[in-house]
Amino acid sequence: MTDLRRYFEDIQPGEEYESPGRTVTETDIVIFAGLSGDYNVLHTDAEFMKRSIFGERIAHGLLGLAIQAGLFTRSTQAYATLAFVGLRWKFKGPIKIGDTIKLRAKVVAKKETGKPDRGLITLQRTVLNQRGEIVQEGETDLIVERRP
Amino acid sequence: MTPQAHLYFEDVAVGMTVTTPAMTVTEAHVGIFQGLVREPGGAPGVVPELIPLCLAIGLGWRAPAPPLVVLAFMGFEWEFIQPVHVGDTISSRARVLNKRALREGGVVVEERVILSQTGAVAQRGRFTFLVARRPKEAAA
Repeated sequence: MTDLRRYFEDIQPGEEYESPGRTVTETDIVIFAGLSGDYNVLHTDAEFMKRSIFGERIAHGLLGLAIQAGLFTRSTQAYATLAFVGLRWKFKGPIKIGDTIKLRAKVVAKKETGKPDRGLITLQRTVLNQRGEIVQEGETDLIVERRP
Repeated sequence: MTPQAHLYFEDVAVGMTVTTPAMTVTEAHVGIFQGLVREPGGAPGVVPELIPLCLAIGLGWRAPAPPLVVLAFMGFEWEFIQPVHVGDTISSRARVLNKRALREGGVVVEERVILSQTGAVAQRGRFTFLVARRPKEAAA
């Protein structure tokens, strides 16, 4: 089978990707609350949240982060990723039920590591809602294989 | 009054440490997560990196301490040190590193680690929260 994954050598700083959109639903939030055990009122109490600054329930920050990770895999040909090693992340605004988010990602750095068979790729990622507002942004570090 | 139900900005002290109960990470967690976010599977038996992080937040709510009144999760820096496998049992420990008052509430920075059943650090980093001040009517 042809290996279509992109290796460390193939990925160049400056490359940019944009994902399809994904509408975040009440179901996503309920499933994520069940999975994570995070039942904070921010995500689960519609009546309480009517009186909050958001006016309604909002998605868990980490749900947005997890969804963008999935969107990344739909944005570009798969990387030959060995490990996700770190991130620096900011939650800039709420994701509300019915919002449609998409990911913009850009390769900002490529570094050698101590091991000859792999390298470190840093991506800058921006999560936008349907109005083009940034709801989350940050950088992620991936260890990617070199071409065997 | 009954024991304090919530921890406000005023109640937070630098150095405060909270340890959560533990939870075994299962194939079901992996399947539900992958279905939810459509992240394709990696190596068999290896848990996607974000799952322990998500579970650690939920475990934080079950810790034997009143929960912080979080207005917003502002951001975090995180390192994935070693993989978590299906069947591993994780727990989390948080320690307050610093706090800074704002007009409406305050910023609290916590150092968190996720530990495996052997006590090895699987993930670690810093969380930044916006925390509410004690409302006037709830004053002690």
